[in-house]
Amino acid sequence: MSTAPVGKLTNMSKSVTNGVFSPPAKGTATAVPERQTSNQHLRRNPPIAGEAEAIAAAQAGDGAAFERLYGLHKRRVYSLCLRMLGNVAEAEDLTQEAFLQLYRKIGTFRGDSAFSTWLHRLAVNVVLMHLSKQGLPQVSLEETLEPSQEDGPRKDIGARDLMLSGSIDRVTLERAVSDLPPGYRLVFVLHDVEGYEHNEIADMLECSIGNSKSQLHKARMKLRDLLRTGQTSARREASL
Amino acid sequence: MNAGGKNNEVMKTTGNCITCAEFQDQLPELFESGADLKEQGHLKTCEQCSALVSDLEYIAQQAKLLLPIHDPSPAVWENIQTSLSSDKQNSGSSPTK
Repeated sequence: MSTAPVGKLTNMSKSVTNGVFSPPAKGTATAVPERQTSNQHLRRNPPIAGEAEAIAAAQAGDGAAFERLYGLHKRRVYSLCLRMLGNVAEAEDLTQEAFLQLYRKIGTFRGDSAFSTWLHRLAVNVVLMHLSKQGLPQVSLEETLEPSQEDGPRKDIGARDLMLSGSIDRVTLERAVSDLPPGYRLVFVLHDVEGYEHNEIADMLECSIGNSKSQLHKARMKLRDLLRTGQTSARREASL
Repeated sequence: MNAGGKNNEVMKTTGNCITCAEFQDQLPELFESGADLKEQGHLKTCEQCSALVSDLEYIAQQAKLLLPIHDPSPAVWENIQTSLSSDKQNSGSSPTK
């Protein structure tokens, strides 16, 4: 997976505009509210055989049980980190940090929500804290898109024969997602891939619900543009 | 590239009092409302916006199918073990209760 385009850093503010994600202030992204989320999110968190026993044992300090939990959840946590960050090294570092935090906080898990939902939110918070410290997602789309391009189909002609339906495979979509500007990618991954609701995303990113909706729409429009024109990083590399 | 305002005039569909630009401005809320977009009057006569809506719906559907398929390298667990061992040696830490 390639790193998304990185442009000039801009000043931090608590909003998401034009692909610019301004993360929450330092120290505010570690809370892990234990609550049920959307049906889609629950669909992605089915009960896992043996998980409850492993959680109880890990809470009692059983290292083998903690390793079992790592084995059960490493793929999901790492995939989340990788999709949010678009960088393997950072994703591995933050997967490590997420599980270290899990070890320290697992005693606070009371079972009010699915464990995987709770862990997932913890991992999201770890990534957001990392981004907050780095300030890297302060990338303005204005530097990667000409203003008229953001209007997307308003300028298109003959769109019917270019419809995407049935034409995208998973790998192509993954690459296109990784090519999204960071602010767009965050909202798209959280909403469309991970199943968070806009009110949850707004809470996590400390932006308005309308802002989250707007960013999601722009992310989908940008993805459509990338997919239709084949301008994903893999295609560009292959053409060189 | 066409300029936005002039382009919007070109895209204005006959038989509808809403332009493509106006329809697309409403799209984020329309998507989130859960309404059946096919019932939108503008889409009945505008192939371009119909294609756009189909594509955006398709992208959202496909995104839900992006399962977690990536595994971290073995070094991640090794580093976690090393860090936990170090913590224990330094403070005898155990999970928070």
